[in-house]
Amino acid sequence: MKYEMSPEEKRLAALAWAAGLLLLGIVILVDLGVHHHPHFERDGLTFDTLPEFYPLFGFGAAFVFIIVAKTLAIALKRKDTFYADD
Amino acid sequence: MQMTDFPPALILFAGALLIPAARGKLRWALAFALPVIALADAWQIIVDGTDVYVPFLGMTLNPVHVHSATPAFATVFAIMVLGGLLYALNQKRHYELPAASVYAGGALGVLFAGDLVSMFIFWELMTLGSTVIIWAGRRADSQGAGMRYFGMHAAGGVLLLMGIIIVISQRVHSGDADPLAFRHFDSMVTLWSTLSWDSIGMWLILIGMLVNAGAPPFSSWIPDAYPQGSPSGTVFLSAFTTKTAVFTLMTAFAGVEVVIYFGLYMAVYGVVYGILENDIRRLLSYSLVNQVGFMLVGIGIGTHLAIDGAAGHAFAHIIYKALLFMATGSVLWATGRTKMNQLGGLYRTMPVTMWCLIIGGLSISGFPLTSGFTSKSMVLEAITNESARMADLGQSHTYLIVTWIIFEAATAGVFIDAFIKLTWFVFFQKDSGLRPPEVPWNMKAAMIGFAGICIFLGIFPGPLYAILPYKAEAAEFANVVYSVDHVMLMLGMLLFAGLSFFVLLPLMKRSESITLDIDWIWRRFIPKFWHDVVTPLLEGLDRAQKAVLEFLPSSFTDDGSMPASVRRRLPGSWAVSVPVLLITLMLLAYLVVYFWLLPATS
Repeated sequence: MKYEMSPEEKRLAALAWAAGLLLLGIVILVDLGVHHHPHFERDGLTFDTLPEFYPLFGFGAAFVFIIVAKTLAIALKRKDTFYADD
Repeated sequence: MQMTDFPPALILFAGALLIPAARGKLRWALAFALPVIALADAWQIIVDGTDVYVPFLGMTLNPVHVHSATPAFATVFAIMVLGGLLYALNQKRHYELPAASVYAGGALGVLFAGDLVSMFIFWELMTLGSTVIIWAGRRADSQGAGMRYFGMHAAGGVLLLMGIIIVISQRVHSGDADPLAFRHFDSMVTLWSTLSWDSIGMWLILIGMLVNAGAPPFSSWIPDAYPQGSPSGTVFLSAFTTKTAVFTLMTAFAGVEVVIYFGLYMAVYGVVYGILENDIRRLLSYSLVNQVGFMLVGIGIGTHLAIDGAAGHAFAHIIYKALLFMATGSVLWATGRTKMNQLGGLYRTMPVTMWCLIIGGLSISGFPLTSGFTSKSMVLEAITNESARMADLGQSHTYLIVTWIIFEAATAGVFIDAFIKLTWFVFFQKDSGLRPPEVPWNMKAAMIGFAGICIFLGIFPGPLYAILPYKAEAAEFANVVYSVDHVMLMLGMLLFAGLSFFVLLPLMKRSESITLDIDWIWRRFIPKFWHDVVTPLLEGLDRAQKAVLEFLPSSFTDDGSMPASVRRRLPGSWAVSVPVLLITLMLLAYLVVYFWLLPATS
């Protein structure tokens, strides 16, 4: 059964999305001004000091996890009654 | 025996006997008094540094001893029992509370066990208590899941016991003054990569402990068993078994590199399977594996800060994971449902549960101002410190850089998994039409209390840092944990991981499905193989044998006329021969261990 959101709820939802996107924008801007300390400086690795490295890393990591999981699901997904059917 | 010598575990065991006898208010007064008394007793022992020795079967056991990680774990175990009991006040099944008391008592016993034999005894009592809690769940598969859980832990317990026996006999052979002692296996730190007969006992102990920690290939027992508990039963289950395993691994195997790799596998496994999961409590079980993985990484690194991080994270984890299971348990309690595709829109009528779930979800992801941030960061810091130290020494340390990257990635993964996905599909998403009332006051109070601890430890980590195994390193870390660099690192990473979830939202559509795991081998493949291949084969042999017997002159096969000695030698049915074969193999294995392994160590 489908339930419709009331106009009030629709307005709140739109507000929440806008607030979320605004927050992401603020993080991007603030991160430009922050100097991130390199974690593996002694190895000559400074990849983690690149501007916006962590937002990109977080986005990429989650993206890859979801894609890997969905790929795995092609072979391993079963109905949740799989073992109960015995 | 003075009060200060009394093992705290026994106080909770006494509870298991007293609680069923008491009724009404007295029952609850008892239930709340016992963990408080146990905690007071535990701290008395910790402050005094008491050691108690008890003669037992010709051995001298040491059931009361304070290990470096005991204070942190004992404190959080007692808090957990209190919060869990408050949440369980409405629990109808009378045997769940006594079982929880035995379970928690066993866990507390392990923390104070100074010798391997007492450790093992408490370890097994824990298995018994927790199995009964699963059975008390009375969900569709509680019986079966309880049996599988018990089988898994009984098998792990056998490995642990074999290891303990071998280690003790080796120590006796080598003239160790205290052969029973439960202490760090120093030699494993260097020996782990060279398997030798000398270290087989320690390996068996390591494997036995890893089974309880949910390490591969046996991680699936957690999502199999825990969601089968009642709303309150699962809260208890989430706290003790895996964290006691973390405690014992920390005490015995800190710095053993192979533990890092088990931890990394678990961190990734928990995220990947969690992304695919539809059941809210199974999803949390997967993220539990992921979090224990982070603790194992800390244990494998083994520096002081890493151990502090692992212990601190275990402390924080017990609280926020219990909070998450309380919140999902409340959803189950209020709606009778746990499948995300059947939930949605609950924010309208369950705001307290929603906010508690959000705080638990932020904590598990290590979001700034929550306990996960102040605890998990210690392990990350320890990885980079250790990497720098090894770089200075010119030692190979690429594995630490890889560990750090996977660790950070899995942190982003658990944020979308246990926080965004859970909150989104249960409380928002579509309107499922459900308008359940908020849960009773006691369940709300337990959740709000635990949410408060998550925030408190996120803002003031000092009291937690002060009871960690190596306080100095943790206290030093307290100065840098809230640097702008560190906070922005986490905010940027987590929030944009969240964006990724919504960008890929069409892929996250829920369906009533599970994801096959390695347990498919023993839940489906072996039974099917036995039923479809082995049984027909044995029956065929049986028929062939009967045909041969019929072919022989009747005087040979007529049982009555044959001498008893001949009749006994005729091949019987496979129902007898298979067990005989198994017993023979076990005896053979025993001979190998006895004649080959033990002399090599003397």
